[in-house]
Amino acid sequence: MSTQSVELIRLDPSEIVAATLHAGLRPSDVLVVEHAWAEHRARLIAGLSTRGVPRSDWPQSLHWNWEAKAPQLLLLQASCAGIFCDERWQGLMMTKTAVHMATLAPDVGKPLVYVDFLETAPWNWRISSLGQEPQFKSVGTLLFKEAVEQSIREDFHGRVGLHALPQAESLYERVFRMTRVGPDAKKQNLVYFEFTRQQAHRFLSGGEP
Amino acid sequence: MNGTKRTMTLNLTPQEMEALDDLAQRKDLSKTAVIRQALRLYQLVDVRLAQGEKLFFEDEVQKKKAELMVL
Repeated sequence: MSTQSVELIRLDPSEIVAATLHAGLRPSDVLVVEHAWAEHRARLIAGLSTRGVPRSDWPQSLHWNWEAKAPQLLLLQASCAGIFCDERWQGLMMTKTAVHMATLAPDVGKPLVYVDFLETAPWNWRISSLGQEPQFKSVGTLLFKEAVEQSIREDFHGRVGLHALPQAESLYERVFRMTRVGPDAKKQNLVYFEFTRQQAHRFLSGGEP
Repeated sequence: MNGTKRTMTLNLTPQEMEALDDLAQRKDLSKTAVIRQALRLYQLVDVRLAQGEKLFFEDEVQKKKAELMVL
């Protein structure tokens, strides 16, 4: 496992806090995260059910279970990164590197880092119906940045691809400025987004993609 | 993938080296990255086949689907 120092934004009280980004998490690490998150997920489900919030308005990754995803990390093509702060894991991301290829010119058919799962801890979700505000901001951005940097380390020049849950589409399209390739019938019609090498380098340099 | 990297010598025939050079050029990868990708893919296929799954190639245009026999 490798670690690097990063910073998160705590919302209440508003402050910047030190955190660590860990790459190369193993299945046992992911189990620890899931056990911590499952409890909070259960509370959210209970709250949403009690208030009669329609399922369509529930956070779309609420049913995710990282314990079930953990065995995938036994394969060389999969890797997992997480952000640790305040004695808790604040976000996780699983990427794949073997079978996903770029679809955008000029690199069609060249490998990319595919973000299979990216999730912030359940206490970092804004859930208006429950009055829950995120404890930390920028967790998802830092994990996405790690995917781009992984792509560069892998010789993939920053190319990244992912299928977004509908609630996350605007993040990838408007905030990260990924190219919206379109709905993918082979992936439950989730919209596929991709970063070209040029977009990735502009993202890392802090410029407009 | 993280961790300390180890170095090995790879003995390839001229044809194998040519194929490696060609893939490295077409995929815009270093030769090491090509070998790494090949290993990841081989392991993935091997594990899935061992679990009883099959590997297919599909041509969506010509509506053709063929199983790749890995023995």
